[in-house]
Amino acid sequence: MLVALILYLRPVPWAGDKLNVEQQVVDSAKPQVCVHTLLENEVEESKILRSLELVREMGASTIVQFFPWAYAEPEAGAYSWGIADRIVRHARLQGLRVIARLGLVPEWARADDAPRATTLNYLPESSFSYFADYAAAFAQRFAGEVERIIIWNEPNLSFEWGYRPVDPAAYVRLLRISYGRVKAANPDAVVLAGALAPTLEPPGSAAGMNEVDFLKAMYRHGASAYFDALAIHTYGFLDPPAAQPKLNQLNFRRAELLRDVMLAHGDGRKPAYITESGWNDHPRWTGAVRPSQRAAYTLRAFQFVEDKWDWVESLCIWAFRFPADTFSHPDNYTLVNAEFLPKPIYFELQAYARDWARPEAAWLPRPVEA
Amino acid sequence: MRWKPKLTSLVAALAGLLLFGIVLRHYWPPSRSLAFPRGTIIVGVDASYAPFALDDGESLQGLDVDLATAVAGEIGLPLRFANIGHYGLYDALISAEVDLLISALRIDPNRMEDVRYSLPYFDNGLVLVAPADSALPDANALTGKGIAFEFASSADSFIRAWQTQGIQLERLPYELPQYALDSLRLGRADAALVDATAYLLYQSEQENWESDHSYVSHVPLAIAVRADNVDAWKLVNGALSALKDKDELARILVKWL
Repeated sequence: MLVALILYLRPVPWAGDKLNVEQQVVDSAKPQVCVHTLLENEVEESKILRSLELVREMGASTIVQFFPWAYAEPEAGAYSWGIADRIVRHARLQGLRVIARLGLVPEWARADDAPRATTLNYLPESSFSYFADYAAAFAQRFAGEVERIIIWNEPNLSFEWGYRPVDPAAYVRLLRISYGRVKAANPDAVVLAGALAPTLEPPGSAAGMNEVDFLKAMYRHGASAYFDALAIHTYGFLDPPAAQPKLNQLNFRRAELLRDVMLAHGDGRKPAYITESGWNDHPRWTGAVRPSQRAAYTLRAFQFVEDKWDWVESLCIWAFRFPADTFSHPDNYTLVNAEFLPKPIYFELQAYARDWARPEAAWLPRPVEA
Repeated sequence: MRWKPKLTSLVAALAGLLLFGIVLRHYWPPSRSLAFPRGTIIVGVDASYAPFALDDGESLQGLDVDLATAVAGEIGLPLRFANIGHYGLYDALISAEVDLLISALRIDPNRMEDVRYSLPYFDNGLVLVAPADSALPDANALTGKGIAFEFASSADSFIRAWQTQGIQLERLPYELPQYALDSLRLGRADAALVDATAYLLYQSEQENWESDHSYVSHVPLAIAVRADNVDAWKLVNGALSALKDKDELARILVKWL
């Protein structure tokens, strides 16, 4: 009885100490294959491990992972790296390269004279320096392990800018101060700018600014000196991957319009990382294609990058898995469902990345009247 | 020594007042002007998701659009829609860009620090479907049955869980939920497992086919209100209850599903 009581009351080790994993190596013939993971809200370490094992087994060698500032510095100056340490450790053990996306503002850094409630994307100018401190602390802590760092996410959308009018000049000021501090903390760090959302918002829209105009404005405000590579978000929506890019259309090759802006400003030597991409296959969403089309388009997109876009380092699919289903159309961007069930596109990508024979169809043919 | 009883009395009186205030606040009728200080109800909706809300280029149409209109009518205030992408909905609510979200949102326990959800207006859980002339199987009577479903969907996860529990059934995976229902209608499957929206839409298009269904999981859809806007939450729940009592909610659901 006493032994049972002692066993019951003994201190439980932190979950970070529980899972010992042997070093793994990614078996992949396609180094561009990358996925965007969402591990920051996983409570159970085993789910982080399972997600990253599935990423490795699929043949992706790189992940984009969000590292929320609000989780790492809940109180000013007091860093808490537990969540980030756990994710980076498991990624390293699976042999995966990590591209870090930084954002999500702690409450203390949002406290200014805002006239109303603020969201976690609200970063007042007075806190730019604090964000840069976090970026530098992150770069220093993970030097040698995480060398690519994205500064903010989709600043050309009002809601990603704290529901304020978007402001390319302010974003460049954030980039400038962050770039300097990250480089001081880790001179080998590669600072990625942009991660702009593909959008057709017209001039003057309250919702945002189209990404091509936003990037041009960034250059006008001197952004070129403050980033080493551009992070691009490009989605296929209803178009196949080879469809021509147009200013008034959202499709995969719209990324070329951003590349043209880089070239026009003498930044052709800088690479790009497509840190979000993919097609959606929800049966009732207006921006979706069928699951079989999604798989085919995604494979052709990877081939397109390999054949024609030598300026792209990685093509990262949004998103590998959500920790919980949304029960809405975003679920149909994932490669693995919340219960770790791989979708057909997972096996197609695995065959592509690992140079295997294509898998047999996962489903039965559509039933027809006799 | 005489100050202690006075202090105790004062504290007790204050506590009583506080308790009275809380009780009064709870039962006091909600205020429209506190709930919607702009005098208009602004509803955030992702108008890209059939049949709940779609933008046809001129106006918004759909179940959620009709529901929002009916709720605003019950509350007695004009209505304006803000068409927002799915990922921006909750931030729009929290930052008071909008007053309500009516956008096929499931009740999400992880958001309840910032958000109050209304009474559910639709259950989009998984339904087990069978032809009307056959006994609808429950999960315990599926042994030996052929079950059609969308491959790698939540229905697939459910069926795998049944198999793990030892239920020997025949898996019939299809690319789309409507193909699974085709399979059932054409007699290739004994039952289909799909979400309620897919089923109701399919059934509404098949005039000569009768089916029966039962829920095996529940995904309640509800209206989201800021957690601190108790008045709006009460008004919305009152409106939903009135719409339900008048069968108006049922009429809207039948119109779109």
